[in-house]
Amino acid sequence: MTVELPAPGAARTPGPRRGPLAGIRVADFCWMGVGACATRVLADFGAEVIRIEDRKRLDMPRRLPIYKNGKARTYGEEDPNPDPNKGGLFNNYNRNKLGVTVDMRSPKGRALADRLIASSSVVTENFAPGVMERWGLSYERIRELSPQVIYARMSGYGHSGPHADYRSYGPVVQAVCGLSHIAGLPGMEPSGWGLSYMDNEAAFFNATALLMAIYRRNTTGTGTEIDVSAIEAGINLLGPVLLDVAVNKRSTRTPDFPAGNRLEYAEAAPHGVYPCSGCDRWIAIAVFDQREWQALVAVMERPEWARDARFTTQSARCANQDALDAQMAAWTREQDRYALMQRLQNAGVHAMVVQNGEDINEHDPQLASRGVFFELDHPVIGEARFEGMPVQFSRTVQQNWRSAPLLGEDNAYVFRTLLGVPDDEYAALVEEGVL
Amino acid sequence: VSAYPLSGLKVIELAEDPAGEFEGRLLAEMGADVVKIEPPEGAPSRRIAPFVKGEAGVETSLHFWYYNGNKRSVVLDLREKPAALDALLADADVLLCTLQPQALSQIGLDLHALCARHPRLIVLSITAFGLTGPWKDYASSDLIALAAGPLHMCGYDDHTIPPIRPGGNQGWHTATSFAHIAVMLALIERQQSGCGQLVDVGMHEANALNVELANPFWFYPKMNVQRQTCRHAQPASTQSALFKCADGRYVYYALILSDARAWQQLVGWMDRKGMAAQLSEPEFSDLAHRQAHFGDIQSVLECFFLVHDSHEMYHEGQAAGLPIGVLNAPEDLFDDEHLRARGFFVDVDHEDLGMVKYPGPIYRFSAFEGVPRRRAPKLGEHTSEYLP
Repeated sequence: MTVELPAPGAARTPGPRRGPLAGIRVADFCWMGVGACATRVLADFGAEVIRIEDRKRLDMPRRLPIYKNGKARTYGEEDPNPDPNKGGLFNNYNRNKLGVTVDMRSPKGRALADRLIASSSVVTENFAPGVMERWGLSYERIRELSPQVIYARMSGYGHSGPHADYRSYGPVVQAVCGLSHIAGLPGMEPSGWGLSYMDNEAAFFNATALLMAIYRRNTTGTGTEIDVSAIEAGINLLGPVLLDVAVNKRSTRTPDFPAGNRLEYAEAAPHGVYPCSGCDRWIAIAVFDQREWQALVAVMERPEWARDARFTTQSARCANQDALDAQMAAWTREQDRYALMQRLQNAGVHAMVVQNGEDINEHDPQLASRGVFFELDHPVIGEARFEGMPVQFSRTVQQNWRSAPLLGEDNAYVFRTLLGVPDDEYAALVEEGVL
Repeated sequence: VSAYPLSGLKVIELAEDPAGEFEGRLLAEMGADVVKIEPPEGAPSRRIAPFVKGEAGVETSLHFWYYNGNKRSVVLDLREKPAALDALLADADVLLCTLQPQALSQIGLDLHALCARHPRLIVLSITAFGLTGPWKDYASSDLIALAAGPLHMCGYDDHTIPPIRPGGNQGWHTATSFAHIAVMLALIERQQSGCGQLVDVGMHEANALNVELANPFWFYPKMNVQRQTCRHAQPASTQSALFKCADGRYVYYALILSDARAWQQLVGWMDRKGMAAQLSEPEFSDLAHRQAHFGDIQSVLECFFLVHDSHEMYHEGQAAGLPIGVLNAPEDLFDDEHLRARGFFVDVDHEDLGMVKYPGPIYRFSAFEGVPRRRAPKLGEHTSEYLP
């Protein structure tokens, strides 16, 4: 893909943007993971995304102790007095965006925000319902300020219904939408998710909704309000089990559900995650038909046990998966995981090392060859690595012009240069703590 | 003026897996005309369970129904008539194709040449590993895709148990999510330049980059996260957030000890139910004391949840201002009062079977109504409309 990077030592001053969204200004009230991850897509592809932050209520990713050369701290363990410019997660989510600080509790702050909205054609937010209204920023008001505006509202439950005020974040969304329940070993508590999958997925769906609204507005000239509920997005991700429930009235509260790493809806055996040599090293292996089984048996150098009648047909293997998995694990246990994956894949067997963060970044030649990571400098953090888009475009450019903004870094540029606030008024706003 | 965001858009779908089929469905649900090309025996997804009443058949796969709503089906054997595809593409905007490089060359399809012949066409390729790179011909599946990244974060506290696959085809769906963003970017670009392009989405890299904190924890402090039962994988272990309730169901609640307001809300709520035990004692308002007694707090919490029903804990906890979630099963969702009030589930007409409930819109736009939902097409249902 065409990924542009700033020249070494380039100034951090904003300049003209390239990409399909160049010329679109976004007044971005988003914070946390979902919102920031959604508007990152816009910023990567040319939109002028201006994040509006609150100095007195720092964005969580600015406070989380994910620091370069940092100690092992869990992400719930906040720094009591954090340097707001040191947080790695904030840098990761907010590259290519501008950053301003506005005190929305003050009438002068809200007046400035109105001016910013009036000069923008997209407004985004993911606060708890009611926050934007408290600032007077209903869709009707925002449309008065910017007639063709697209106003994207991202929340857990959506902006209507009896639970609209419920509090949520990724794990709560995953619980309520059913995704946590459908993962785990039979007879045990759900294993669910070890990440806020739905923060990311809701962010991607929100980005898509914004892009579809922009695409439509480009031909019709009309804007829209967008309401995305992460829970409703999550239900759309449950997959065919939802229709099994709706049509066949099957229950998923049975002792054999969920099926762990085995597939309920396809005959596949072995289909699991097996240990390799080293500490907590694993490989995923999936065999869907007899040809793949023969290939696996050949890689295993045709052991005696594979000729046992319990394992010679796909349905026999499916009926005897506990015994099969024990044999598989005994075989994989002493092997190097990447070498084993290569041998299996070369023979036509589905296999993949279970990769952790280190593996993704240091040991995966496919990711390296596709160039999915890039680096940008940051005044406080220094050089840092970023996740790009996992897509190669033959034309579209991802222009990476800057790492995440320092707190209030672009106040002068946005308010004086873009909005034309006179120097003395700007100085007074700074003095009064409005900015 | 177009009725829907993607009205007027014509998409030809050559998709054999959920990543591509889900993307086709998402485009169709926004108003695009999505024509699914199937071989005479039907797409492979027609043979995947679950089936209506468990009876296998090309028209009874619920897997196929789930991923192919609002599309048209055209039977075309590309091995026999490769030129027919070009004819269909002449007035198409997007070709959605999930064939890996070897499968493409087997039917003599060269995506770059196709782009050259149809300069306005956007070719959206969604494949297991992308069209390039040393692993481009590797075989994949949902489990294999998830192994690229998210899988290592999911499982149990007990690490003798392997990582456990999160359910519902999320490896495939992750590729879909990025593909949908990518095709919209390409369409917006085409509005300006008039030019199509080749958009190459790899499921492996989509999953490797969909790991939330695992990558930042490696980018910055160079740490790996360790999986924990139904809560965030972290560099060091944290307290359980899954609580069993009296009805045998679970709720998720992560207590953040340092949050003084959340602590007051929690203890106030437990106190109103007469179960705050020692937690209402004044020394617990001190963070250091709470930290020193985290184990005791967790035990009191476990007892509190264990003697109440999950829905009582969910709704009352939320009313107290706490982010508590009940672990719904898919079958619970149809009765959820919030989803009902929002009219989320939609009825789709399946003539023989009657109305079937499907998940409703992911996004709601004030500027237009939702696209009417149609069942997945029968095999070749629309062939005569497109082929002579």
